[in-house]
Amino acid sequence: MTDARVVGIGMTEFGVHDRPLPELFADAAFEAFDDAGVEGVDIDAFYLGNAMGGQTERDTHLAPTLATHVGIAGVPCQRYEDACATSSNAFKHAVRAVEAGDHDVVLVGGVERCTPTTGLDTPEMTSIFASAAHRQYEQPTGLTFPGVFGLLTTRHMHEYGTTEEELAAVAVKNHRHGTLNPRAQFGKEITVEDVLEGPVVASPFRLMDCCPFSDGAAAVVVTNDEIAGTLDGDPVGVAGIGHATDVIPLADKADLTATQSARDAASQAYEAAGTGPDDLDVVEVHDCFTGAEVLAIEALDLVEDGEGGRAAVEGLTALEGRIPVNPSGGLKAKGHPIGATGVAQLVELTEQLRGDAGDRQVEGAERALAHNLGGDAATTVVTILEGAT
Amino acid sequence: MSADESRASAPLSYDEWASALEDGELLGQRCTACGHETAAPKAACGRCGSRGLETVSLPTKGVVYSETTIAVAPAGFDGGSYRVAVIDLGEARVLARLEGDAGIGDSVEFVGSLEGREEPAPLFA
Ligand SMILES: [Zn+2]
Repeated sequence: MTDARVVGIGMTEFGVHDRPLPELFADAAFEAFDDAGVEGVDIDAFYLGNAMGGQTERDTHLAPTLATHVGIAGVPCQRYEDACATSSNAFKHAVRAVEAGDHDVVLVGGVERCTPTTGLDTPEMTSIFASAAHRQYEQPTGLTFPGVFGLLTTRHMHEYGTTEEELAAVAVKNHRHGTLNPRAQFGKEITVEDVLEGPVVASPFRLMDCCPFSDGAAAVVVTNDEIAGTLDGDPVGVAGIGHATDVIPLADKADLTATQSARDAASQAYEAAGTGPDDLDVVEVHDCFTGAEVLAIEALDLVEDGEGGRAAVEGLTALEGRIPVNPSGGLKAKGHPIGATGVAQLVELTEQLRGDAGDRQVEGAERALAHNLGGDAATTVVTILEGAT
Repeated sequence: MSADESRASAPLSYDEWASALEDGELLGQRCTACGHETAAPKAACGRCGSRGLETVSLPTKGVVYSETTIAVAPAGFDGGSYRVAVIDLGEARVLARLEGDAGIGDSVEFVGSLEGREEPAPLFA
């Protein structure tokens, strides 16, 4: 078995992109090719993340379509769908194939368009997002995804005294980080008052507790350590990946605040990488809602259970804090084009480990973790990357 | 219990669960292997995987375990804010519509099925 390396990264700005998925994806893919120093002819396989194209774009069998558009027709292609954890699952399988020696150089990417400007209006998109909830036992109640995380977070507030002000502090932090990321959808700082004065989407979340609807694409080139040494791209090592699921529907979960799949995936990833939470320098977590970041940092054992709410208030998770969380701005400020999000987290962390993250660089970052969650936390993929030493 | 006995009858189906709900009864399943109860019928136990499931009538009184007020509704759910809650029924928990202002820890009662919907959802108040 060989070790996998990320050797090329690319992503579009997240925001509004009024052009077809193949054109949007090509921008990210070619940026990743050029960064790695490869051409389409060098690519052995393609792993795509796209969660909702069948519903939002009336577009399926996307992997060979996109492969053809970027000049790699003929290679084995596969598309993954795991709600918001879609492209980190694609990445996991790409890494496994490289480690097993099945493929030498693979393209992994995600693309999605979710903005009302380029597609469906807010009620229709809210309905499509809600389709990740149980079809028979959750959707008929009118549960939405802000509502799913509203249920998890309301319980956390009850058990631990987490407050709306603490949730707002997560949004304030991630917006501030987003101002330092030229690819982020939101580039403006906000205040706790701005968040608390916003309209409710699903309690306890107000508008600015929620990530936006976004269009965007992200891509990485993955190869083995031997080939990585021959390419231009500055390689980053894949130290460990964990992938776990939990029961659906959420009423059957043993514990609403644990996000158990994240705990299980994190244990697997920490073990595979031979590391632990204290050894991490920078983390990207799936902050689809402010409360989701609170649950995530507890599940990853970055803070004790019940202390997630205070982390942003106390500056612990800020860029200059003990453990910087979401230097990219996270889903909250960078944006969340569903199928692109998992790979976009890896793009950010690769830049951090290369020392290429500009104004949002975490000084001396050597070990990084990505937490990408799908649905009501019924899927979580945790990936640990390490800089070349 | 032998496998034959525990699988003597087909597990509670969605159609059976939905018609009972429309008739004012909340059905669920109890696992004969681990005792786990659910209000969301399955072909096997969500906790232990056993196919030994018996249909049970769930309690009509429960306690709010968590709740959210949804202000931005999906398409097909017009009519402004409504509340969705996880109700603790003792052994099982159920996702339901919640009428009134009960918060976490407050007692609520099953009052039937959400009206005006093609697909029923439990309603508590
Ligand atoms: Zn069981």
